[in-house]
Amino acid sequence: MSFLIPRAPARRQLLRAMFGGGAVTLALPFLDCYLNTNGSALAATGAPLPTRFGTWYWGMGHTPDHAIAEKRETSAGIGFLEETESLKPFGSKLSYFGNFMTPLDGKSNFAHFTGWVANRVGTPPGSGSDIPGTTLDLMIADVIGNASRFKTIDATAIGIASENYSARGTNSHGAAETSPISLYARIFGPEFVDPNKADFKPDPKIMLKKSVLSAFTEESQAFTKSLGASDKARLDEYFTAIRQVETQLALQLQKPPPNESCLVPPKVDEHVDNSNAGREMGQVIETHKIMSKLMAMAVACNQTRVFNMVFTDANGNVRRKGEAHTHHILTHEEAIDTKLGYQPLAFWFNKACMDGFATFLQTLDSIKEGDGTLLDNSLIFATSETNYARVHTVDGIPTYLAGRAGGKVKSGLHVIGNGDPITRIGFTVMRLLGVPLEKWGTNSLQTSKMITEILA
Amino acid sequence: MSLRRSVLTLSILGLCACFAAPVAAADGGTLGFVVREWYIALHESKFMDECPEGLTMGNDEIWWRSAPKDFRAKVTDNGLARSSIRYYEVMDRGKNGEDVCLNPTSIVDPPLRVVEGKIGYGHNIDGTQDGHATAKTCKHDKFQSPDGKKTDIDNQMARLVGCSFGWRKTGMIQLNGNEVRATSGYGMVLMEVTGVNEKDPRNSDNVTVTFYRSIDQFAMDSAGQPLPFSTYRIDTLDGKPRYSDSLKGKITNGVLTTERGDVRLPAYDNFNFGHPTIKDMAVTLEIAADGSAGKGMVSGYYDVEEFWYLTAGVGQVLQTGQFSCPAMYVAAHKLADGYPDPKTGECTHLSVGYNVKAYAAFVQHPDKERRQATR
Amino acid sequence: MRRKFKDLPLRGVVLATALAVLTACGPKEPASEGGTPDLRRLTEEQYRNTIADVFGPTITYGGRFDPLQRTDGLIALGARTARVTPSGFEQYYALADSISAQVVDEAHRETLVACKPASATAADDACAQAFFGEIGRVLYRRPLTDGEIKTAVTAAHEVGTTTGDFYQGLAYGLAGMMTTPKFLFVVDATEPDPDHQGQVRLTSYAHASRLSFLLWNSAPDDMLLTAAEKGELYSKSGLEKQIERMVASPKVEGGVRAFFTDFLDLRKFETLQKDPVIYPAFNAKTGEDAKEQILRTITDHVATRDLDYRDLFTTRRTFLTPALARIYKVPAGRPDGGWTDYEFPDKDLRGGLLSQIGFLAVNAHPGRSSPTIRGRAIRETLLCQKVPDPPGNVDFSLFNDPDSPNKTARQRLTTHATNPTCAGCHKITDPIGLGLENFDGVGSLRMAENGEAIDPAGDLDGVAFKDPAGLAKAMRKSPAAPTCLVNRLYAYALGRPIETSDKDTVAYFQQVFARDGYRVPQLLRRIAGSDAFFKVRPPKADAATQAATNDSAPKENPS
Repeated sequence: MSFLIPRAPARRQLLRAMFGGGAVTLALPFLDCYLNTNGSALAATGAPLPTRFGTWYWGMGHTPDHAIAEKRETSAGIGFLEETESLKPFGSKLSYFGNFMTPLDGKSNFAHFTGWVANRVGTPPGSGSDIPGTTLDLMIADVIGNASRFKTIDATAIGIASENYSARGTNSHGAAETSPISLYARIFGPEFVDPNKADFKPDPKIMLKKSVLSAFTEESQAFTKSLGASDKARLDEYFTAIRQVETQLALQLQKPPPNESCLVPPKVDEHVDNSNAGREMGQVIETHKIMSKLMAMAVACNQTRVFNMVFTDANGNVRRKGEAHTHHILTHEEAIDTKLGYQPLAFWFNKACMDGFATFLQTLDSIKEGDGTLLDNSLIFATSETNYARVHTVDGIPTYLAGRAGGKVKSGLHVIGNGDPITRIGFTVMRLLGVPLEKWGTNSLQTSKMITEILA
Repeated sequence: MSLRRSVLTLSILGLCACFAAPVAAADGGTLGFVVREWYIALHESKFMDECPEGLTMGNDEIWWRSAPKDFRAKVTDNGLARSSIRYYEVMDRGKNGEDVCLNPTSIVDPPLRVVEGKIGYGHNIDGTQDGHATAKTCKHDKFQSPDGKKTDIDNQMARLVGCSFGWRKTGMIQLNGNEVRATSGYGMVLMEVTGVNEKDPRNSDNVTVTFYRSIDQFAMDSAGQPLPFSTYRIDTLDGKPRYSDSLKGKITNGVLTTERGDVRLPAYDNFNFGHPTIKDMAVTLEIAADGSAGKGMVSGYYDVEEFWYLTAGVGQVLQTGQFSCPAMYVAAHKLADGYPDPKTGECTHLSVGYNVKAYAAFVQHPDKERRQATR
Repeated sequence: MRRKFKDLPLRGVVLATALAVLTACGPKEPASEGGTPDLRRLTEEQYRNTIADVFGPTITYGGRFDPLQRTDGLIALGARTARVTPSGFEQYYALADSISAQVVDEAHRETLVACKPASATAADDACAQAFFGEIGRVLYRRPLTDGEIKTAVTAAHEVGTTTGDFYQGLAYGLAGMMTTPKFLFVVDATEPDPDHQGQVRLTSYAHASRLSFLLWNSAPDDMLLTAAEKGELYSKSGLEKQIERMVASPKVEGGVRAFFTDFLDLRKFETLQKDPVIYPAFNAKTGEDAKEQILRTITDHVATRDLDYRDLFTTRRTFLTPALARIYKVPAGRPDGGWTDYEFPDKDLRGGLLSQIGFLAVNAHPGRSSPTIRGRAIRETLLCQKVPDPPGNVDFSLFNDPDSPNKTARQRLTTHATNPTCAGCHKITDPIGLGLENFDGVGSLRMAENGEAIDPAGDLDGVAFKDPAGLAKAMRKSPAAPTCLVNRLYAYALGRPIETSDKDTVAYFQQVFARDGYRVPQLLRRIAGSDAFFKVRPPKADAATQAATNDSAPKENPS
């Protein structure tokens, strides 16, 4: 038992002084340690700009021959077709990856599940609910996400908290924020410290809270002694989770450097938040628009450096007003229009997803940061769970990388996988962002080859 | 189970589509409706042929035209601009400053423009082919249906208001009444059809249609349309329904038709309440195949003074509705075709036909309601 | 109005008799090996019930809990492997903060903080110790150790002194307790079994937690903890006394509801969506009511009136709100939106659980019914049978001709049946699901689809039926239905999947369930009173350490 008394007399005096109104300077370390090395910097402070990583998800893949024009080999220039035409303005800021394979080594293809799991974990699932490892966003967050208030922030515009494609395993699967109001409250609620506010006064209660949390955590360590190995591991994860809250509390005690890119968004009104109204595409688009803005500002304001944004879920639970079927059902049951060469309604949904992606990129690109934009300083990994939903193919899952990670990557390329495992994309991304990996994935999905064509 | 019997009878609503399920007793069935739309049936043609002189002049227009030039200058935007003041100027233009709508005989306005066309909607109420005077009616013109098949339609009310802006599709008078009814719950009319053949509800020879007022508001879907099969309670006074007149009728191939009889109804128009009795009222209602709604016509004779009471009290609409009170009052008496005054021989009622739309509803009687409340 | 359990035959004489019968005759419970001790994350409901039990219903809070993985047909089994993510902990922390602040606020401190501090503006260790001792005992589900009391009291002391607010200190200390794994995880604490050398047994307090999470889906109350403290739960008579008390409490309704919510996967309602254009009468409120209707029908049938579980598939009694009545096309008892009881007429096509809007709407598409989804739900949820997933590369559009003459679902599904790849599985699901085709995507009755008469005939494992009422009767007769219930309830009670070694025990409960006339409360009593329910074995790898170092409470009374 070591609550405050023997360990931290200085802290106690400090607190007293704070409550007594005495002038106190808090000399807490600047926690930032993973910064952009290519030299772009915040204008206000001269501090280098960090690299951010985000995933963007849409369900049901692409319409073959109507999304991206085929290519035989990797080269600059992406042939955007009808489905992706709204991405054209970002042609120089993103790359498209086609013809990468997802070999399953005899495992089943669990429809609308295997694709994203294999793609993000490097191992195909053994059942329709199995997540056999940590998703790449969290591996990246473990490296670059420790200096911000949140390690990751996950949100979904479709309103299903559990359809969040970020996990440390089957049983360690966090819920995503489903409403703009709760997303706003989480990021910009009372605990938010505005870096551009002149009068920074740390709330002395925060330090008390931190001390209490530490004391109880320390005492609880003994609890694990009685447990078996697997339960011990579960509690280790629990204690790791506590450390994030401790970090959050610590960050609330220090004045963040001024940040001209950080403009606290207006509070989300209840009447703007229609996330409860249902999963109709129009509502998804509106919710996504608000969430994108909040997420972009969460990143710009250094609240998180890693995030996951879901536009529509892997089960295609999105409707169009007046249609009896969801996007998913349409991909299977709608007849192909022989003139158009595709399923017209399913195509409508696919296109709406790409329009959503364009909105998202536009939101990041509209935030100026250093010499460029927030998008330039980020790397966005955008994928789906299938190539062609009608037949659930997991080979050739369309993947985009947007942004230049602060100059670390080249963009504007159409990269051809030539049948290589799709894990090469994730592996390259993780290596670029500092995850110390020699190889990634299992069996046929294992790779140790970065996609060098995109390295700057 | 207090609800059990009514359930048995009401469940035919769901079954009446085409494939009736086996049901025990005949003639014990009930159908219920809540009335959503109630419009005087007007024929409004593309080029307004029915009103060759154009729409009638309103109170405001007549007043403005008659105003001296120097007075006009005062009541423009630069002068006396407040519409409420203008409103009283318009209304109180009787010889001694009376309100001309409450005292429509205080001045004489130019005659009301009324429908001159041949086409109209409604029923043959007087039973004649040509509208000649009978013991119960005065001589009047008949309308013919758009397809020309029926030439004996009585609807003097439509003739009266059909060239007045406020009553037509473009105006507010009828629309407002219907919309406020939908959103406020005032003047909600319930129709309960009893004696329905349970084996074949779409063909019932001997039914009774009873009209009640509901104290509940419409249950609406997100598009603002009433949800069929909702339950509505009857308005009561001392434990008995406040309105409960009924008509005999039959259902043939899904069409309900009734005999004629007097029915007292709750009325609500533009913030004005009334409870007129429609004399010799009859209903035809086409019931949708799935039983969820009914569309049809209500006809009968409407008391001119009752009409005037409800019309003269509608406030601002008297100005925006664009009709002259004194002119309409005169015309209403002139067009009246039913129930001659025994002393003067002048008719006191206007024949009328209303387009109605109703939705399937469960009518909850007060005894059941009390039992439910004690649970 | 809803009837309270206490009004009904679960109490008193009937119950005492039932318990006597329980041990008197019939088959004997076979010996059980037990399962390994587990660590279960509190479910959202258990968290909320505990907070409501300790602090009352006026403490309000939102919150987003990490989802639990449905495992072997039960979410409860996901709790034993569930972890806590950073964002999940963040939520627990925020909840603890919000709840503890309310507990000590002006409106609540009078009732929730038993003692009065000497001064509200300074720390008062004695009062804090009393508070934490009492509250902590329920939160940790056992008395606190001296060390634990000291942690909380010291925290309250420091915060109280620094801020000059005694209650602030209490709030911080309470929040601290609520963020520990001791509160958030239910542990199967063990100790060496004095009667069986080399074996372990659950501690007395772990007995209490098992009982109360099964019967109440909440933490043990003061009386149960006191019984545990006195060691009464080790004796048959002491245990039965507590079971009797607990089953008679209105809180048992929470336990029954929790089990059926899990068993029937009512979590699906959280994502239920219907197209408002196609089904204007179905909105979010209808969805909530439909779920509540299922739970009311079940608790009324199996618990309040203590009837045969199998009759749940044919019962015509249910409960309605106006929103539901509209879809059933029957009159609503109360236009004010409240609930009334209701009975469908004898010859109605509707009757039983399968014909309720909740079942029909959840197991359908947003704009259309689905015999396949419904058939699968019946197989997997109610009969515990596995239906294989459709193959990953199936191309449904192969038989989706735009000019198709197929007007009804039966016609459309016949196409599946002629395709050998699909036929195998559709044979398992469709003949059952087609029996519910008289109910559309939200559960409204219909006799035709696209103008074509619906043929709702089908068969359930060889029992032919000609309409939904016939399907209900076939379900009522299906031996798989009660077997499935016993399997699930047993796994739910133990919080772990059924293992091979449980075979005899499960068979025994199936036998007695039938002997008891398929009464669920009696089955609950039998499970709660069984040896198997409490039996644990040490984990293979570290059996020795498990027995030696347990986390049971100290023997002395710490307060």
